[in-house]
Amino acid sequence: MMTMEEATKASSPSSSAAAGGGGEEEEVWSWGAGTDGQLGTGRLGDEHLPRLLSLSLPSSISLLACGGAHAIALSSGGRAFSWGRGISGQLGHGEVASNCLTPKAVTSLEGYFITGVSAGWSHSGFVSDAGCLFTCGDGSFGQLGHGNHESCSSPAEVSYFSSKHVDQIACGLRHSLVLLKGDHKNGVYGFGSCKRGQLGPTSNRTRSTGLPQAIQGLENIEIASVVASGDHSAALSSGGRVYTWGRGFPGFSDAHSPVELPSSLQIKQIALGWNHALVLTDGGEAFILGGNRHGVLGNLEKLGLANNTPDVSTLVLERVPGLDGIKVMQIAAGAEHSALVTEDLVVMTWGWGEHGQLGLGSACDWIEPQEVSLGHTLSGHWAKCSIYCGSGFTFVMRSRTSSGLHQDD
Amino acid sequence: MSYDDVEIEDMEWNEELQSYTYPCPCGDLFQITRDDLRLGEDIARCPSCSLYITVIYNAEDFADTASKKNVEHSKQQPVAVA
Repeated sequence: MMTMEEATKASSPSSSAAAGGGGEEEEVWSWGAGTDGQLGTGRLGDEHLPRLLSLSLPSSISLLACGGAHAIALSSGGRAFSWGRGISGQLGHGEVASNCLTPKAVTSLEGYFITGVSAGWSHSGFVSDAGCLFTCGDGSFGQLGHGNHESCSSPAEVSYFSSKHVDQIACGLRHSLVLLKGDHKNGVYGFGSCKRGQLGPTSNRTRSTGLPQAIQGLENIEIASVVASGDHSAALSSGGRVYTWGRGFPGFSDAHSPVELPSSLQIKQIALGWNHALVLTDGGEAFILGGNRHGVLGNLEKLGLANNTPDVSTLVLERVPGLDGIKVMQIAAGAEHSALVTEDLVVMTWGWGEHGQLGLGSACDWIEPQEVSLGHTLSGHWAKCSIYCGSGFTFVMRSRTSSGLHQDD
Repeated sequence: MSYDDVEIEDMEWNEELQSYTYPCPCGDLFQITRDDLRLGEDIARCPSCSLYITVIYNAEDFADTASKKNVEHSKQQPVAVA
């Protein structure tokens, strides 16, 4: 049941999150695990229903990144703000605090225009418009790329890339992937833990590396995006092909080299969890990989896992169940839950729900996508809706330009 | 059923919790104490949720409580404050 406070908040337009300049109307919602303040609600605690946030940010948000228990927002002005768990320095505030309940600027990056961001389990990466990479947080496995295994609480430039143009950073559990701009020969690099093959081929004894190394097996493929989560790595080519490496999906062995997904589908987006992957086709169809445990985590006893460990190349994509032809615009994956946005900007979630990360008002698991209720707005009100998942929590951002062309509802 | 099987070498010693820890998908940490390991316990639980993992370790490494010589501590890094 929705409490009175929740009902009031959800229906009150005055509590809309910081409407930025230029007539941009914006809402940010969050739900799920919140015991480190990662939901941005100003409180420590889980939320089983979506909460409309009043984040105090100077301008509209262009991008969010959600990690193990922290979140980072980029403003349209290129500034970074972070909140949630900070015990390893992952917030980049220059001090180690156990947590931070409200967005706080990453001040050491204020001389840069930040355009890309990723939040891993306990580390963070930032990319500037000029292609510089900065990392902070837990460095125990070399996941910061600074050539050592030290942690740091202020984003430090990864000097290995100082003469290169970094386009993207993707932070996983204990490793990171980097995509360079315009380098199709050796465009993807990785650093951090490599025990499960998440950095591609390495010598047998190597468990982690603090120095970036090119991922072998992707040479001469034009990569459009890289994704990291858990001990998984993935890359999407500009031709719509998917490559995965690292920890094997349930029932499959680890892949120590990128493996192309055997599928003729044209893929436009990949999202990785800790034991599953989602892919979205150009045509708006969503598929799941390794989803045999998805939505049954609360009841694993009932699931008989296959004992054989087939090669990753025999992985089969399964259509996300229950969508019945609904076109999907965007996908996102938490550690053990999934979310999507439909063509009509409806948000749906499924998977593990113990911390309320599905936003459905309970702690239940779901094996099929369920619609999340985000207040009462007329359909067509919002022009854009984006979804982001942290390990056990979820964020939604909705926006539109109130230019007078649209009538307010 | 256990969420995952994790080798002790992949767990991190947490001084504050006095436990070996491993990330839990809920955002918290699976935890097991040295005493648990000494007693032959192999289940590390998450204090925040229902999940648990099975810890793979060599019982002999933890047989002597007073001796910590066989326990690898190399990954306990203090956080450098810049």
